[in-house]
Amino acid sequence: MSKNLYQPVNSEIVDIIDESPTIKSFVVVAEEPFKFKTGQFVELTLPGEGEAPFTPSSSPADTEKMEITIMKAGRVTALLHESQKGQKVGIRGPYGRGYPVDDYVGKEIYIVGGGVGLAPIRSLFLTLVDRIQDFKSVVCRFGAKAPDDFIYKNTLFGAWQNIDGVDLKLTVDEANGDWNGNVGVVTKILNRGDVDVRNAVGVVCGPPIMMKFATLKLLEFGFAPKDIYLSMEKNMSCGFGKCGHCMLGKYYVCKDGPVFTYEQIKGYRNIWD
Amino acid sequence: MQTVFVSELKPFFDAVAEQMDLYVPKKTGAHYIYDKYDPADEAAVQFNNIRACTPVKEFLFPLRELAAVFPESLEPEEIRPFAVFGLKDCDLRSIEILDKVFTEEEFEDSFYIARREKMFIISSDCSEPGTSCWCTFSGGQPHAEKGFDLNISMVGNGFVVEVGSEKASEFVEKTKDLFAEVPAEALTERDAARTEARRRVDDNNAEYTLDEPANEVVAGGYESDVFDMESQKCVECQACTRVCPTCHCFYLYDTKREDYFAKMKMWDSCMRLAYAEVAGGENPRRVLGDRIRHRFMHKFAYFLDRYGINMCVGCGRCIDADSHKMDLRVVLKKLNEELKGAKEAKVAK
Ligand code: SF4
Ligand code: FES
Repeated sequence: MSKNLYQPVNSEIVDIIDESPTIKSFVVVAEEPFKFKTGQFVELTLPGEGEAPFTPSSSPADTEKMEITIMKAGRVTALLHESQKGQKVGIRGPYGRGYPVDDYVGKEIYIVGGGVGLAPIRSLFLTLVDRIQDFKSVVCRFGAKAPDDFIYKNTLFGAWQNIDGVDLKLTVDEANGDWNGNVGVVTKILNRGDVDVRNAVGVVCGPPIMMKFATLKLLEFGFAPKDIYLSMEKNMSCGFGKCGHCMLGKYYVCKDGPVFTYEQIKGYRNIWD
Repeated sequence: MQTVFVSELKPFFDAVAEQMDLYVPKKTGAHYIYDKYDPADEAAVQFNNIRACTPVKEFLFPLRELAAVFPESLEPEEIRPFAVFGLKDCDLRSIEILDKVFTEEEFEDSFYIARREKMFIISSDCSEPGTSCWCTFSGGQPHAEKGFDLNISMVGNGFVVEVGSEKASEFVEKTKDLFAEVPAEALTERDAARTEARRRVDDNNAEYTLDEPANEVVAGGYESDVFDMESQKCVECQACTRVCPTCHCFYLYDTKREDYFAKMKMWDSCMRLAYAEVAGGENPRRVLGDRIRHRFMHKFAYFLDRYGINMCVGCGRCIDADSHKMDLRVVLKKLNEELKGAKEAKVAK
């Protein structure tokens, strides 16, 4: 008898970190060894309440625990936000294909992110930084609504600014308090000279509208559609290409993605909705 | 293939029912619906001339089932061997399609597989195909040639029984006394009936012939507004996907029981408005026409691309369910004409 695909691994929330007014990170420890590759996602069950897909934001190298950053957006995520340390949860997965990091070797990696889209990016970033000498450079352009809305503030405003091989710039839609950095949507701080498109890949993750305009911008800079990697948020449920919810054209986002190149999906309707 | 003969259905049903649970089609109004066989009920012995109106998937992938329990995990339910009588070729082909999905390597659905292994398939020829039957379109026909344990063809004085599997020969061996040798004229009669049934299906569908394979017709019409026009007739009842024997969308939901938590699995429909909606409210198929487009693309193009088999078996259930308002055949024909028109215009240039 094969194992039950629908059975989550019993796990526990061991810590909760407030990231922004609407976003928290949950540190989850599974009862069984649980490994993933950066960009893959898991299904997190709040027992008796519901299940939702999330891409872990921690480094896959940390196999003891996993961090999942969650924005309060629907019923299940709101309940998760109310939960306390010690809460029992279930995790299934990991599912899908993540970022093909080995294909990025020797290249400049141009990462554009916004809002809670920084969650998958953080996992990717930590993976890249672990072997930073393998890449020509890692160029990050991140945006948030207001300074307070940035997640991972400590590292974002601190340690990540000073890593050799990393060029990180931030912007906010609206400045307030003592913010004296860039103001404007993230596409405003994308510049043609940031990377050499002949030897670069783009990685975009964030709210749909931001992903759309960032992708258009990268195309305008001369990126080939096959060199733009998008982490697609769809309504994943089963996680293994059966329930149909996540379909994007012929693809099952859960199985063939969630990371796609723009080349793969550009012919389909409403990809940004 | 071994072939035997039985003159009456009743003793045959009784013999099957002795060894396993037996489900038989019962006439309800104009349609057949499956029910557990009751040897005491005379009306339970019927030869259905056409498929039941309910899809065979309900035997393998029930409308709602318990998928997981925690914190303690679930002991799989013991599935008793069961037989289903009167499945048609289109039903058997729908099982072939579901098998592709649920027995896919690395992601085997243990619930489906447990039922599938215990299922004994007794198919039968279609003596009277309906007006919505269009199996020959998708490579089928009104009688089965493979995919069954036993297949039954009705002839004047009895039933020709084909033995299609190891399991079935064991059954026939065990119940030898029931069967006789096939009279020579019975086979001639069966073959004539099969040819006639096939002719009927072909005649019914002559007007829907396409110039290109259906996948090309549908994919070629991806941006066509035919889907949006059709959507004006659709009331979003989702009946088409419920009765479809190959539609297999489901959703998972969690619930609390007295002393445990359960994860349930239940049929869903890609025609449902919130089906593809994400937590943030975005929905790539908010517009009904886009949902209909997706349904056609999945049935005729995407599935073929992934599994090498067309996902529509031509059973016509969705046509019946929709009181013939949205007829797949008509939609395909419209797309076909558009594509043809576009090609001719290109040549003219
Ligand atoms: S579609 Fe074909 S196989 Fe199915 S019931 Fe009709 S005639 Fe029989
Ligand atoms: S999440 Fe079920 S098919 Fe992708």
